[in-house]
Amino acid sequence: MLRKLIIAGLAGASMLAASQAFAQERGGVVNVATIGELTTLDPMTATGDLLGMVTQHFFETLYTFDKNWGVTPLLAEGLPEVSADGKVHTIKLRQGITFHDGSAMTSEDVVASLKRWLEVASRGKLVAANLDKLEAVDDYTVRITLKQPFAPLTALLAFNNSAAVVLPSEKIAETLSEYVGTGPYMIKERKPDQYLQLVRFDGYKSREGEPDGFGGARKQYLDEIRFVPVPDANTRVEGAIAGQYDYADLLPVEAFDRLNGQAKTEPLVLKSFGWPMFIMNNKEGMMTKPGLRKAVQAALNSEDMLAAAFGKPDFFAVDGALYPEGYQWRSDAGVEGYNQGNPDKAKELATEAGYDGKPIRILTSRQYEFHYKMAQVAAEYLKAAGLAVQLDVVDWATLVQRRAEPALWDIFITHSPFLPDPALIAPLPASYPGWWASEAKDKLVVELNTEMDPEKRVAIWSDIQKLIYDEAPFYKVGDFNALSAKSPKLGGFTASAWPYFWNAHLTK
Amino acid sequence: MAAVSSAGVDTPRISTLILQRRTLAIGLAVIATITLLAVLAPLIAPYAPNKLSIVNRLKPPSTTWFFGTDEFGRDVFSRTIYAGQLSLLVGAAATTLAAVVGITLGIVAGFFRKADGVVSRIIDAMMAFPDILLAIALVAALGPSLATVIIALGIVYAPRLARVVRASTLVIRELPYVEAARALGVPTWRIMTRHVLRNLVSPILVQATFIFAYAMLAEAGLSFLGVGVSPEVPTWGTMIASGRQYVGQADWVTIFPGLAIILTVLSLQLVGDGLRDLLDPRLRKDL
Amino acid sequence: MSRYVLQRLLGMLTVMFTVVTIVFIIVRVAPGDPAAVMLGPDATPADIEVLRVRLGLDQPLPIQYVYFLAQLARGDLGHSIFLDMPVASALLDRAEPTFFLTLFAILIASAIALPVGIMSAYRRGGLFDQSVTTLTVLAASIPSFWLGLILIQVFAVRLGWFPVAGYGGPDASFLTRMSHLVLPATALGVVSSALITRFTRASMLDVLNDDYVRTARSKGMGELRVVMKHAFKNALIPVLTVIGLTAALLVSGAVVTETVFSLPGVGNLVVSAVLRRDYPVIQGALLVIAAIYVLINFGIDMLYLMIDPRVRY
Repeated sequence: MLRKLIIAGLAGASMLAASQAFAQERGGVVNVATIGELTTLDPMTATGDLLGMVTQHFFETLYTFDKNWGVTPLLAEGLPEVSADGKVHTIKLRQGITFHDGSAMTSEDVVASLKRWLEVASRGKLVAANLDKLEAVDDYTVRITLKQPFAPLTALLAFNNSAAVVLPSEKIAETLSEYVGTGPYMIKERKPDQYLQLVRFDGYKSREGEPDGFGGARKQYLDEIRFVPVPDANTRVEGAIAGQYDYADLLPVEAFDRLNGQAKTEPLVLKSFGWPMFIMNNKEGMMTKPGLRKAVQAALNSEDMLAAAFGKPDFFAVDGALYPEGYQWRSDAGVEGYNQGNPDKAKELATEAGYDGKPIRILTSRQYEFHYKMAQVAAEYLKAAGLAVQLDVVDWATLVQRRAEPALWDIFITHSPFLPDPALIAPLPASYPGWWASEAKDKLVVELNTEMDPEKRVAIWSDIQKLIYDEAPFYKVGDFNALSAKSPKLGGFTASAWPYFWNAHLTK
Repeated sequence: MAAVSSAGVDTPRISTLILQRRTLAIGLAVIATITLLAVLAPLIAPYAPNKLSIVNRLKPPSTTWFFGTDEFGRDVFSRTIYAGQLSLLVGAAATTLAAVVGITLGIVAGFFRKADGVVSRIIDAMMAFPDILLAIALVAALGPSLATVIIALGIVYAPRLARVVRASTLVIRELPYVEAARALGVPTWRIMTRHVLRNLVSPILVQATFIFAYAMLAEAGLSFLGVGVSPEVPTWGTMIASGRQYVGQADWVTIFPGLAIILTVLSLQLVGDGLRDLLDPRLRKDL
Repeated sequence: MSRYVLQRLLGMLTVMFTVVTIVFIIVRVAPGDPAAVMLGPDATPADIEVLRVRLGLDQPLPIQYVYFLAQLARGDLGHSIFLDMPVASALLDRAEPTFFLTLFAILIASAIALPVGIMSAYRRGGLFDQSVTTLTVLAASIPSFWLGLILIQVFAVRLGWFPVAGYGGPDASFLTRMSHLVLPATALGVVSSALITRFTRASMLDVLNDDYVRTARSKGMGELRVVMKHAFKNALIPVLTVIGLTAALLVSGAVVTETVFSLPGVGNLVVSAVLRRDYPVIQGALLVIAAIYVLINFGIDMLYLMIDPRVRY
């Protein structure tokens, strides 16, 4: 009895003394409200922030990003050894890593996974043409030999969508039937439209040291992570306020005032979260005419679009540069083509381009309410310029399916976070829906990819940005901050474009 | 379908009759006012319905904006009365379509014994689908637009009218003077137009009023679900759907179009009730 | 009697058959090649052709129709494109919330409608009756989703009494799951109480004028007893009918309500299926829901027969 009391007393004392230590105790379940259901959990074949956000908990890549967006090893032991000519990348793997099914990860799995990535992933295909050889040197070493140097390779390998995740070689198939990875959490149960239940993977081997962005150590405080698809943004807000969700992703910025001062949730603002864009169909239909693309560019008023979509000026920046202040990639080249809002010029350009009055089909989704709002404002500006508009509003999954079909749309709306390397920007390669292909672009992109000198790469990127305004393959609307909500009890969590819940913990 | 116990004529008290007339009068007055507001929207509306004014987003109701502004700074009052045009149009057009199809089917089934079997089975089968669900499927099949929503709702409600018409026709065709006309060799089409249709006016009118009300509710539901008319087309349903995000923060964006629907549907139902009592007391208990 | 049952059974089967035909037509009218839709954007024309053959889409429509019937006869409702699972299991997965939502909505609607309907029939023309008549019309005029939005705002967000959305997590107990249904069932129940109230009132009026009620009255039976024992008992059959039919029709309201409350029910499934162009799910859900409606109807007819064997119509 006395002993029990002493222990209890000690526990109480230590609780007061070191609340930090206690705050990080293991256990607990977090409910994460996401913006919708996923078609697949295969992060190689599909892209999308939601997919990356969810799958990064159970699938891991060789590399990832630290808190300063530098590439840092994850399943690899260290950064690749690159030969002097920039063609041979030798990657040492960490040892003692096991998959969720208990099998050990070796170079065989990595080679098989990378092979699949090169074949099926949109970002992997970028590398495939340039690949000379992919081989296992020994059980824990992989060597990639390229035909030409390719600067963004490691960044591509680190990316979490269209991701080069490592799968057990025997589970690899054209369509994955089981989602077995090496991540700190593993899938327990999936009920479509209801939840995806992840539980702690006890065989996880974390890196040594401290957490550092997506890299460094990954702590497994939580017992369970549940991703709950809640397509309606308002329901996510209300669920957060009522304490039903410990984290609610991507909320309408108007909800900020409602979330402030609540007991069970608090607003979480992520600065420079990303940039929405209108992708034009460069392959089929009327938008293949450069003049019409320029007409759309001239018609759009970014300021109104951003204001309608994000409300308060604290939540957006009217900025035509493709990287915000603070990024080495920042450049002002070509931005005079941005935020013109000039219907007369647009009308003129459209007439010159031989516009025939057919409606421009804008494909968008309400899952991202701001896309839809921007579409509505854009429609008004386009109409002012004498362009007819047809809004095709579908759910996000359908949009992703349809945008791959060039006959079905003229413009679609998406957004991207600010990526650590411009080579990762989605609409840059001609394989991405929108299918931007031009000689000038190809030349510059090759230069960007093969140049190993960082400063020269910045200059090349600046030229590409100028070209984007000249050819108008897509239109950047501006920068926006994102609003999410998290429970005050959720600690150790960092706001991110792809929120992750390892390292996070619940305080009692 | 299980029939209701036969309707006995009951003698309503005078007070009830007056009350019913009064509700009819009130209902008619309200629906007339709403229709007038919608039709005259271009004259009444203080702002253009799609006029964006981003700086004036989500302003509460005031003397400048009677019903406040929405997330694009558009005047909710102007939009509400403009939306009335389309909402009423959808309701009216769907009802008309349902009436044309329903009356035709109903008369054919009621008048021609041979056709009755087939037509009645189709009517029964159509009625087995819940209205919204059938409308959703039809809109999905036809592709969403204002026209397809009207067509879908017309198809959905046609069987309801057809059933009423069929039942009445069955009674009418046995009426002595109709039988007499037939015996005299009056052509069928003349019997139909002269005797049958004329006698059908009351039940059709009553039923159509209710269908009008249901069609408006259904349109709002479809638009709310995002499977109806395109969200950029202002109807009361699409207004509620897009204002949903601001419930709890800018309630006026959803409250006013919601009240518009309630008021319209309510007055239509009052008119339906009133007409029923006025035109045919025997139909009282048919719901 | 057995002839009557047989006749009704045959009638039901004909209606069911017509339902199947209607669904077949609706889905075939849908734009786009179903095979292309099912395979998604990466499919090659050759893949699509293979699937067309496998699905029998290369056959003329009448033959496709026969295949469709044969497939249904095997109890096969098809395969969901988006969810990648049999439609039957997808529907079964979503059956629970819809079933209980409908059940609770009916209970709530009846709890409101029966006493109110009886009272207002009994006090016909009085103030109570007048107010009730107006209120029921009002209730029937409210879009259920609009009411749902308000209930969420007041009882889930502000007061925190009930969950905002969903149907609970993986380990949610039955009670927790049911707590998710309180608000949606209320929204649905209130809106559909109108129909039952009016019907109860009308049926009661009918029987209150009947001879045996008058007789009972003249015998000096207490008013309440007359109303409850004689009148209500006889008014019950039509009232039960309308309750049964409302239950089937409630599925319609449930479609919208489930979406407002993010309940993973059948209605929600259909709405997502439409947005996802998941035609097999739309087809399967329509069939099953219509079949349930037809069955309920048949059940009601049989019930009539049991209560009153003289029924013939």
